[in-house]
Amino acid sequence: MNGPLVPNEILTPEIGLVFALVAGLLFGFFLERAGFGSARKLTAMFYFRDFALLRVMFTAVVVGAVGLLLLGAVGQIDLSMLAIPGTYLWPQAVGGLLIGLGFVMGGY
Amino acid sequence: MEAKNPARGVPRYWSPYIAGFAIGITLLLTYYVMGHGLGASGAYTQLSARMLQAEAPRHAAKNVYLKNYLQLGSLFHSWMIIEMFGVLLGGFLGALTARRFHFEIERGPKIGEVDRLLFALGGGISVGFGSRLAQGCTSGQALSGGAVLAVGSWLFTLAFFLGGYMFAWLVRREWQ
Repeated sequence: MNGPLVPNEILTPEIGLVFALVAGLLFGFFLERAGFGSARKLTAMFYFRDFALLRVMFTAVVVGAVGLLLLGAVGQIDLSMLAIPGTYLWPQAVGGLLIGLGFVMGGY
Repeated sequence: MEAKNPARGVPRYWSPYIAGFAIGITLLLTYYVMGHGLGASGAYTQLSARMLQAEAPRHAAKNVYLKNYLQLGSLFHSWMIIEMFGVLLGGFLGALTARRFHFEIERGPKIGEVDRLLFALGGGISVGFGSRLAQGCTSGQALSGGAVLAVGSWLFTLAFFLGGYMFAWLVRREWQ
């Protein structure tokens, strides 16, 4: 089975929608277990009190990146078919700043 | 402040490395199946496009930005909407099984509930606008874009932390 499964038409888009629920369930469950359900815990890193969520986030990014690299290396996924966010430097920089501001203000 | 201390015997959060690993595997699985990563803010855009369509259909159809969001048959053909529904349900089940589920407006001791909620509204507006500018939030850009080493996503992540640390001092009364 060569990934990505839905773009390669190994699975139908309808199964992709069912998978959306599974992926969301797992994502939400693990986020809660990590402590993302608490606004005070989410904002704590910005007051140098608790960096747990920073560790969670970067661990997830590294696991995802290394996993994709390995799957690509053994030919299990065609990396050229992945949706890569485009590069729009100013919008992404200003958007990031605004989300950082909103994050400490709102606790999300 | 009520319910500050969780009841005795409430399980602690997972080790950040174990939780991060689990989220990373979920992300990897999503890329493997779908060819794209996880998201969150896109679901809100999808919802607002539908709300505008219900209220002012002709205006919505003319809007170049929202038009693309309205091409799917129904709201439940949207991958992001179903995923976000799963996130809500997963978070709810997580809190329930960890015996953490309760109602609370989380805040520091120096701020009232109304002020805290007004700050939350302001923060939400800033996050909403920012996530449309950047075409994603901490899920779509920092997490999913970060894992595929997208240059713009890493710039986003840098700007996100810069923004958080720059403005944290201004709203410290909310949390401390």
